[in-house]
Amino acid sequence: MAEILKVTDITKHFGGLTAVNGVSLSINEGETVGLMGPNGAGKTTLVNMICGSYSADSGKIEFMGKDITKLPPWKRCKLGISRTYQIPRPFPELTAMGSVVVSALHGKDRPNRSFEDAYTEATCYLEFVGLFSKRNILARDLTLFEMRGLELARALATGPKLIFVDEVMAGLNPGEAAKAVRLIERAKDQFGVTVLWIEHVMAVLMRAAQRVIVLHYGEKIAEGPPQEVADNPLVIESYLGK
Amino acid sequence: MELEVKRDRLVLRARGNKWEWHIEPRYWRNPLIYVGILIIVPVVVYFVYRPLLPTIIEANLLATIAIPLALMTIGTGRMNFGPQFYIGIGGYTAALLSIHYHLNPGLTLIAAALGGLLFGFLMSPLAIISGGLYYSLLTLLFPLLFLELTLIFVDLFKGDTGLAGIAPLVSVGSFSLNLLAYTFITLIMMLFYLFIVDKILRSRYAVPMAAINDDEEVANGIGVNINKVKIISVAIPAMMIAIIGWFYAHYYGTFSGQTFLPLTFMLKIFMVTMIGGRTQIYGAIVGGYFIAFLELILIRTAGDMASLIFPIILLILLLVLPEGLFGLYRKRRYREYKPTLHVRR
Repeated sequence: MAEILKVTDITKHFGGLTAVNGVSLSINEGETVGLMGPNGAGKTTLVNMICGSYSADSGKIEFMGKDITKLPPWKRCKLGISRTYQIPRPFPELTAMGSVVVSALHGKDRPNRSFEDAYTEATCYLEFVGLFSKRNILARDLTLFEMRGLELARALATGPKLIFVDEVMAGLNPGEAAKAVRLIERAKDQFGVTVLWIEHVMAVLMRAAQRVIVLHYGEKIAEGPPQEVADNPLVIESYLGK
Repeated sequence: MELEVKRDRLVLRARGNKWEWHIEPRYWRNPLIYVGILIIVPVVVYFVYRPLLPTIIEANLLATIAIPLALMTIGTGRMNFGPQFYIGIGGYTAALLSIHYHLNPGLTLIAAALGGLLFGFLMSPLAIISGGLYYSLLTLLFPLLFLELTLIFVDLFKGDTGLAGIAPLVSVGSFSLNLLAYTFITLIMMLFYLFIVDKILRSRYAVPMAAINDDEEVANGIGVNINKVKIISVAIPAMMIAIIGWFYAHYYGTFSGQTFLPLTFMLKIFMVTMIGGRTQIYGAIVGGYFIAFLELILIRTAGDMASLIFPIILLILLLVLPEGLFGLYRKRRYREYKPTLHVRR
């Protein structure tokens, strides 16, 4: 499998706090990689740097062999990087359809794409996440689970190669959480995307991820198959303490 | 380039891009009725009570300023408190060129539009580097700085008295007919701006604007070049507002920063947008007429107290109608103009 993302020695400071400290990782095409760690471990900061929301203080990010360290977020998105957010951030004043249309129009460059074509494509993604019947409802009026579905549809509509799923289970009941997991697995199969899955719930990553990376205090402390990582004393210590 | 005519739309393909325009006569009835009313009213006023024509002109101009301002607000996701800065740019450009170089109004129009565009581009980085209250305060500052400049460089701008002797836009003989002509020019300007902005807001170019309005960081993350959208959203409306400055200069024959640049004029524009409904381009017309006629009635009935009562009435209206007059109408008679897509299962 070809390497799709390569992060080398990436560091981010916020004032005196080092949120991410010299983290290196690589993700291969078609893989599902789990990213876990206790609260404040630097998971979301790392994803923000890869997506371009934060600039890295040092280190290098390569996507499909191209150095994207200095690229703005919208250019990274056009190359094929997309994400969902830990706390859903829908466009509150846009309808579910409108939210996905933004991505369909502005994500990956597609020649001969009209506004109407974007609408048509957006229906496919809304149908995929089960929100077609709610297409004309304002995003702010959707339930948390629906907002997460909408975020996934919005991310998929950009035509990504790599998608970051940020704590999709947070705030969902067990039934909804199971549905959300199935949805991401289906998205991976149907759209051929590579997934970096940030999650607290170990059981989910044990089932879905081929490889898990663990961060603690901004540093990578373990990487490997889920079972191996789960048995790693450093990981157990980071979650439970000595 | 390839143009295709379909049953309900025109399709244009050029250089890997595709545009579609819907042709929907079923939606034409109401706009045609309202345009008809706007055309008939000045004619009726001309024959019944001519002193009302300047108020109609003022109403049209206030609406014409509020329409591009709504576009600017939507496209940047920020409230600009200094649109009168661009009126000053357009007005002074037209006045100086008309007085010193005797350029005709056609040429001063081009110069004023280019001036507005240039200053729009120069001011657009403000929308990128600042947001919220800071942006509003910064934009509020620029017209006041410009006003100070007009008072410092008295030789050029003629200070408080302003520049006089600007060539009139039309001259058809009688004063009343001139007024009627000016009324129709402002009406055409207003409807033209409304048409253009409405087309933009229904097009694919409105989608990134709406996204920026809601959450620009997320918009940036899903491929929207937010800086480009913001720059265009400032520069184009700035040009449109500068053209209104050009009109003011040629309409009055004089142009003084003291009339257009202070906060009192901004307050009027602000009230038009708030009463009409923020970012509601159709509401701008309702707001423009409401404010212009309210001001007239108060001046006639309350005399000196008008300047006190006017803001109080407006404050009460803002409290009672936070969505504006047009917002209230939209709420009661909501209609989705974009046809809903149906997928056969």
